[in-house]
This record gives sequence, structure tokens and C-alpha cells, in this order.
Amino acid sequence: MTTKHVIATAHTRSIKNRFARRFLRSLLKMKRSNRLGTGFQSNEEIRKRNTQRIKTAADRSMARVVGPRKIWSRALLFKLRNRARIQVGLRKRCLVSKKKKVLGKEKKVQVISREPNRADNLRELVPGGDSMDICSLLEETAHYIKCLATQVKVMQSIADLYST
Amino acid sequence: MRPCSREMQGMNSLLNPSSQIPLQDLQNQQIQNSHFDPNLSSNEDFLEQMLSSCSWADPKSPWDLNPPTNLPFPTNNSSSSSAKHRDLFNETPSSNSDSNNVGFRNSFDESVILASKLRQHQISCGNGAAVSDAAKMMLPQQLLMAVARGGLSLNDDIDGSLSQGGDGSIQGLFNGFGAGSMNGTDGASNQSMQHFNHPQGGAMQSPNLGAQGAAATTAVMNQPQASGSNGGAPAQPRQRVRARRGQATDPHSIAERLRRERIAERMKALQELVPNANKTDKASMLDEIIDYVKFLQLQVKVLSMSRLGGAAAVAPLVADMSSEAGGDCIQANDNGGSLARTTNGSQTASTNDNSLTVTEHQVAKMMEEDMGTAMQYLQGKGLCLMPISLATAISTATCHNRTSGIINSHAPLHQSNGEGPTSPSMSVLTVQSMTMGNGGGDGVAKDAASVSKP
Repeated sequence: MTTKHVIATAHTRSIKNRFARRFLRSLLKMKRSNRLGTGFQSNEEIRKRNTQRIKTAADRSMARVVGPRKIWSRALLFKLRNRARIQVGLRKRCLVSKKKKVLGKEKKVQVISREPNRADNLRELVPGGDSMDICSLLEETAHYIKCLATQVKVMQSIADLYST
Repeated sequence: MRPCSREMQGMNSLLNPSSQIPLQDLQNQQIQNSHFDPNLSSNEDFLEQMLSSCSWADPKSPWDLNPPTNLPFPTNNSSSSSAKHRDLFNETPSSNSDSNNVGFRNSFDESVILASKLRQHQISCGNGAAVSDAAKMMLPQQLLMAVARGGLSLNDDIDGSLSQGGDGSIQGLFNGFGAGSMNGTDGASNQSMQHFNHPQGGAMQSPNLGAQGAAATTAVMNQPQASGSNGGAPAQPRQRVRARRGQATDPHSIAERLRRERIAERMKALQELVPNANKTDKASMLDEIIDYVKFLQLQVKVLSMSRLGGAAAVAPLVADMSSEAGGDCIQANDNGGSLARTTNGSQTASTNDNSLTVTEHQVAKMMEEDMGTAMQYLQGKGLCLMPISLATAISTATCHNRTSGIINSHAPLHQSNGEGPTSPSMSVLTVQSMTMGNGGGDGVAKDAASVSKP
């Protein structure tokens, strides 16, 4: 396991650096766009929008760094892109129609839904977790946890930089 | 092809006790420590010598290596000591190697005892001494076969060689044995072997085996006859991979096993990633993982909130009253403050931020679930939780304790009551301070401190 651990840490470090670069770039872009065209909204709204933007920027840059190699990164990128394109109302309609489809299929096949498994909670949390079996779900979760941890570390260090 | 003919020779020589020479040759070939006395006259001693000269060397064997005292030949009396059987039985090693010393067994009518001991042995030594266990399944058979071939390797070759065996009578005998005890090669008997491997089902099988063994041995004792005693099983053993003990050859179960192993691997990897991973239970481990993922996602949200380019940084301070108030939250805004103050962790609520977003409620709920680890993480990140009363008390204390005077102490309390959120703790604070009344200015802080401990 030691060699695996070493490989994992090296891998994580590269992820961290790449993510840090991308994230900083996106932050700069956001700052520039903020400077250009705001002033019409109240402080609260600005803050809310900025938090949302920062979070999406962080998620998107993380997913891009990981690339399409992992299921969760692909699903995350897809979700972010849809969110960007489609407006909220349309999105709601899409979600509802999806649910109906699923229900219809279930009715036809008469699938007995299992009890809420513990893994179902995990599926909700990990992006793209619905379409994974438990085996790959665990694998994706491990990678996702690693990437989330590096994301938090990088963001925290940036925040510290900003504060001092 | 194995030297089957030679073994048949040996077999014949055994059955005809007069000719010892080919058996000696056989022994010299196949048995390692063959320091036996060639001047033995009786068959019992001969067999005993063979048995003792075999290398039982397996220190892990749970049984003692008792040298057989007096081992009667199967064609002789059957009723002699069961103790000898036990000794003989005790000699069998639990060797994992497939090359040596499978089983010299006297399968007399005490084979029931043997079967029960086998079951005990299987229970005692857990892991798969596959070959040896499979060998024990072939109790009656091994007696004759293994005497001939010292180091019997239980593979398909055995079955193959058996099926190809030349000598008719012996072949018939083996088939007779095989019907009863050739487990692993036969579908039905494979099941029986699996059942045997599970100690619960062993009780069913052992008397069955014993009966078959007894029947077979009576057949042996009388004469090597055809397999009339064992019924219902096919004579020709099929070629199949012999399974290890406790595992099946069924492709479904193999796939199932692989899947389980993969899942266990991944759970182990996850265990290393997640802190607080001292749980051995898979279910609780999954819960830990879920909580950790939730927490990390929450951290990302919080960090994205608190980093707004040096401008008004929002320092969320989530206070959770897990007592009767349920999930009260207040959010503290730091006017013009930077994130440095949040890293100190001592923020007070000066104004109430009405933007109690859904995330804050979510935070409160999460904190309710597991306070310990949440507190740890927050403190690591420079945030802290404090009850509402303490926060307000600190704010009032820091603001107004400097101005000495008893009279002033009442006013700020009223003020704090006015500006803060109405909560039971707040009202308690004011009531207590009112009741204390003129107790003294220095008592006010005490009141606040005492109230803050819910």
C-alpha cells in the first residue's frame, strides 16, 4: 500500500496545482467581469451571486482538471453546462419529465423499489451517482473525496492569502 | 499417464501380503523417509512402517503426530481398537501441498468416528487445506490407493487415472468408493462436499459417509468386489476442478466472491481517505463516508461564501441550539472585516443578516447530526460554533462592560434583547438579569456566563 499511497499523493499534488491555477484564473475573470458591470444590484444579491459563481467556478475547474476520465467529473461538467444554458423554469420541466419517464418504466416492469439503501444517499451526493453500481460508486467516491479535499485546501489557502 | 500400473502392482502386492518387493520399490520411489524394516513379516507391521515412514511433516497440523501403535490390515479384523483409528486419523497432516501424504486411513466401521473427527478438524482449522480436506473426503478410498501411491496428489489426474485404471477388480472397488466419496467430481456429491464443509450440514453428511464407508469397507474386507453397496451415484467421475475448502466451483459464486472482494478493497481505500475511520462495520463506514462527503461539500460552499475578493467578506457564524429551541441560526456579519478575524474565530453578532439561505439551514441540520467532527473541522478552518446566548453575552460584555456602572448594565441587556432574535435563551438572559437587578455590575457578567451554559 505504501507505493500506492505515494502514487496517490503525487497524483493529488498534480491535481492540486492544476486546480489552483485554473481556479485562480477563473477568479480573475470573475473579478474583471464584476468590475465591469455591477452596481445595479444590492449588496446582498451581489454577494449571493458571487458565492454561487465562485462555487461553480471551483467545481467546474475541478472537473476540468480531472477530465472526462471519471464518471463524476463528466456528470458534474454536464450539470454545470446545463445549468448555464437552461433557465430555471426549463430545468424544472426537464426534471419533472425525467421523473415521469422513470415512473412509467417502473410501472411497466413492475419493479419493486428497494428500501432506501445507504448507498442511495451516497448516490445523491456524488455527481452522476445514479447510474453506477456499488462497486464503481465506491471507487468514484474515493476519487471524489480526494478531489474535494484538495479543492477545500486550495480555496482555504487562497482565502488566507486574501485575508492577510 | 501416472504410473498406474505400478500402483496397481503395489495394490496387488498389498492384497497379497507375500510379495513385498514391488511394494518396497514403490515405497522407495514415492515415500520420502523410507527407513523401514524390510524384515517385517506381518502385514500389520508393514503397513505401520509405511505409515510412520511417510513424511507427515506439517507443524501446523492441529493434531498430534502419534505413531500408530498397531495397525491392523483391512483384510484382518475390523473390530480392533478404535483408538488405533484415532491415532491413524491424528496422523493425517493438514498439508496444503497437493503432493504428499493425503490419507492413510483405516476405514473400518469406525469411519463414523473418522467423519466426526474430520468435521471437527474442518471446524478447527479454518482455512482451506483444500487438497487434504478433499482427501479426507475420500476416506475409504485412500486407504487402498494411498498405500499404493505414497504421495498422492489429488487432482483431476486421480479421477482420470482412476477411470483409466487397469485392474478390473480394484477399479470396481474404486468406483464403489467413488460413488460414495468421490466428492468434488460429481455434481451431487460436490454439493455434499460443500455441505460437509459447513459444519452445520456436517451432521447430515457424516453418518451418511460413515455408512457408505462402512459398507465399502465391508466390501473391501470380504473381497474387492464390484460396487454394489453404494447406489445412485455415477460410476465414472467427471473431470472438474477441485474447489478449495469453503469455496465453490460454481461460476456464479466465483463471480460473487470476486465482486465482494472488489467492494471490500474499495471500502478499505475509502477508509484511509476518510478520517475517523476506526469503524469496522461496513454500514457505519458508509455512514461516515456519506457524512464526510456532505461536510466537504459544505466546506466548499462556506469557503466560496467567505472569499469575495477582499471586499465585505462574509464570515458565517452558525450557532446551533440543540436544546429546546431546535435549529436557531444566526449569522454574523463582519462590517468591513477581513477573513483574518474569522480565522481567530471569535466573531460576535452585531447585526442580523436576514439572508438565511438554505445552506445555513442545511448547516444547522448537519451540525445536529454530528457535532463532534463538525466542530473539529470548523475549528480547523477558523470558524467556531457558539450558542446564541454566549454570542450575545460576549457582544454585550465587550461593548458595555468597559463602561463601569451598574445602571448601564441593564440598558444594554434590553438593547440586546431588542436587536437580537427572539429566542428563549435571550429571554432567559434578560429575565435573569432583571431578577438579579441590583446585585452588582460584576454580577452581570456572571449572569451572562451562567445563562450561556444551557
